[in-house]
Amino acid sequence: MKYFNDRIACSGVNPGTAKVLLVTLLSSVVIDVGAIWALHHFELGSAARIAVALSPVPGKIAVIALILRAIRQLDEFQKRVHFEAVTVAFLSTGVAVFVYGYLQKAQAVGPLDLGRVWTFMLLFYAIGVFIAKKHYR
Amino acid sequence: MKNRMRVLRAEKDWTQAQLASVTGVSRQAIVAIENGKYEPALPLAFKIARAFEKNVEEVFIWENHAEKEAT
Repeated sequence: MKYFNDRIACSGVNPGTAKVLLVTLLSSVVIDVGAIWALHHFELGSAARIAVALSPVPGKIAVIALILRAIRQLDEFQKRVHFEAVTVAFLSTGVAVFVYGYLQKAQAVGPLDLGRVWTFMLLFYAIGVFIAKKHYR
Repeated sequence: MKNRMRVLRAEKDWTQAQLASVTGVSRQAIVAIENGKYEPALPLAFKIARAFEKNVEEVFIWENHAEKEAT
């Protein structure tokens, strides 16, 4: 726990915001898992299936709002680092999707799973943070 | 843009973490500014200067100005 408290203190984000964000993120994941489980295990009508499928959306909106709040609490240098990381993630993911599309046309790979795009974005974001921090060190 | 932060910090006997705490920014920001890797915006430049009880020009030196002073 001390490790996480230290990391939060170093991040520049208000500890209260960080804790609310963490709880909201975890709740959002629980709702995700619950919705997927419900869609697989219950015989639901069309309207109910749509309602269950969309049930994670409010949680995701809350997460986006909290991340924005956290970003606004960062100092100008940290904002620069994260801006560069987002740029790396956005552009690299775009390139990766294009490359995957070409490979798909060449029938070298199967259909693209959208869940993988998110994983690539996170991976490229982490790489972007590493590059930016190294650049300004 | 050059700066005299390292010297001024040594005069105050402050660590980078202490200066970061006084100015309300992360230690990483102080490290980057001190090493000349990152140029702060005016409000942060003023905060740093005020922390050292100096004017901005006494802490941050614009490159062309520094060159003229050196010659």
